[in-house]
Amino acid sequence: MKSINRISIILCLFILTSCYESLDFRQLDDVVFKPVFTSSLIHFTVVPSQFFDSAGIQQNSISDITDIDGLQSWFNEEFLVKIDVNAEVINELDRGVTFTVELLNSDSDVVYTFTPIVIEAEDLNYSYLEEVEIASNRGVLNSTKVRITAALENTGTPLDINDTRMFVFESSVTFYIESSF
Amino acid sequence: MKKLLFFLLILSAVKVTSQNKQVLFNFAELPQSLLLNPGAETNYKFHFGVPLLSAVSMEFGSSGAVLTDVFALDNRNINDKISTILNRLTTKDFVKFNSQIEIISGGFRLDSKTYISFGVYDEIDAIGYFPKDVFTLADEGNNAHLNKSFNASQIRYKLDVLGVIHAGVSRKINDQLTLGGRFKIYSSALNMESSNNTGTFTTIQGTDNIYRHHLSNVNITARTSGLFQNKEVIEDPNTYLDNTFFGDNLGMGFDFGVTYHISPQLEFSGSILDLGFVNHTKNIKNATAKGSFIFDGINFEYDRDNPINYWGELDALFKEQLPTEKNEESYISWRPTKLNAALKYRFGERRSEICYDNTYKDVYTDALGVQLYSVFRPLSPQFALTAFYQKLLTNKIHTKVTYTVDDLSYANIGAGFSAQFGKVNLYGMLDNILEYRNLSSANSLSLQLGINVIFN
Repeated sequence: MKSINRISIILCLFILTSCYESLDFRQLDDVVFKPVFTSSLIHFTVVPSQFFDSAGIQQNSISDITDIDGLQSWFNEEFLVKIDVNAEVINELDRGVTFTVELLNSDSDVVYTFTPIVIEAEDLNYSYLEEVEIASNRGVLNSTKVRITAALENTGTPLDINDTRMFVFESSVTFYIESSF
Repeated sequence: MKKLLFFLLILSAVKVTSQNKQVLFNFAELPQSLLLNPGAETNYKFHFGVPLLSAVSMEFGSSGAVLTDVFALDNRNINDKISTILNRLTTKDFVKFNSQIEIISGGFRLDSKTYISFGVYDEIDAIGYFPKDVFTLADEGNNAHLNKSFNASQIRYKLDVLGVIHAGVSRKINDQLTLGGRFKIYSSALNMESSNNTGTFTTIQGTDNIYRHHLSNVNITARTSGLFQNKEVIEDPNTYLDNTFFGDNLGMGFDFGVTYHISPQLEFSGSILDLGFVNHTKNIKNATAKGSFIFDGINFEYDRDNPINYWGELDALFKEQLPTEKNEESYISWRPTKLNAALKYRFGERRSEICYDNTYKDVYTDALGVQLYSVFRPLSPQFALTAFYQKLLTNKIHTKVTYTVDDLSYANIGAGFSAQFGKVNLYGMLDNILEYRNLSSANSLSLQLGINVIFN
């Protein structure tokens, strides 16, 4: 009986003296995840012959378009705060080129137009960056297509269809996410 | 949804493991020690456990971080604290949780050499290693990590919720040797597991575009059973509880054990537990991804005569080269097999103890020994080495103190007692006692307690 009493006293002492440091789980409210994801976007190489139609007539501009999925997701709706579009262009042509990048919705209406990318003739090292704050450009989240139009500077001199000089367009997009509890 | 995602992230860093019950192993001839060694010696006619109270055990462990690291009131920004922890943790770090509750248990002596025991218990058992690259990608993105390969092989977790129906026999072969075996039927209520994954995601400077993204040698499988029914998540806890007793996903397993007296004072005991599997056949939802893919962006061709569906082609190419699939194929989940081995030396005062057949046997008041515990885990086997001291205070009161070195601690001190009040046996054990000075900063805690009725 004496032993049982001894064990009981030891256990009680142990339980009574165990303790814990105060914790504040409300700090979870301040947790913010800010990942930054970068992805390749669109790239192309164009030579002068691509500005001529099947009848051999030179066009001053050409356009191409692609669908894009994902910007309309609930995730972006809630957490996407900014996107950066970065482009690097090499222009070997003897005339300037202007690129217009547009975001379109499912009805093919333009929901956002980036500042035109204007490249001087024979500029071999052009960099472009546009930052788009989602809060002030919510329409971007309705984008389902990207269209890029390349327009040649009118120098008065027609292009040589056999010219092998080209311009090269490379781009990437960076997504800034912010999520909290 | 965000909280669910956070929970899943935490869960993915959690490993739930079967519990090392070093204090209970071969202790005081408790009926529950038969679950750790079916070859353990018994000295009573029959027993039964108080339903739901005969054996309650819980264990939580975290090898890399504790609650105070994140939630302490230290005037530091929680985001800085999380960042510090993420940088410190390695892919070998884990969090674990294990809980066992015995629903019913009992046993009876068949003859002078044979003791039969049986019972039903429910168990939650989970393990999750820290997938550092996945956390880094989710927390920081790939922008700041050009040329870094985010590795999917770090995704390793397993969660089991199951009921176990078991029956075992312990047979004394001669004065030196006692052997035992136990047959188990597992009824899985929930299983989630993923291991042996491969694959990397890398972003590098490109040649055709500014960046090039590689998804290389991807082979990822995530399996679930019991989580979905008719494509909906089962939210009713009663469904899980019902499935722990002869549910749709059944398995079987065996335990084997031995006790051998090398001399009257020196004893070896060992066991292998949960040598078995569960065959998951119902309410299954698996997801797989396998292949490689390189992405440079979309290559505009400005071919006005042949407009191209770039996105459609990209999507088709991705699905062809890195197909993802959801299926309901049955699968086998192996139980985490455990090994126990112990060497015990008895000494001290010799006393006589009455046996179930009214004969007497000599017992020693003290014992010293060592125990080795190992459990097979998705990453590698884990080991724990324990030194222990047992003291018989009276013929009715047993005590045991342990010192364990394992993955979580080099100074894990445990203690337990077993006391007999008439026919009623009460036992309790605590592990990692030093951590009780500050539970908030404990990286490992476990306890076992229970009440039996034992008839000598």
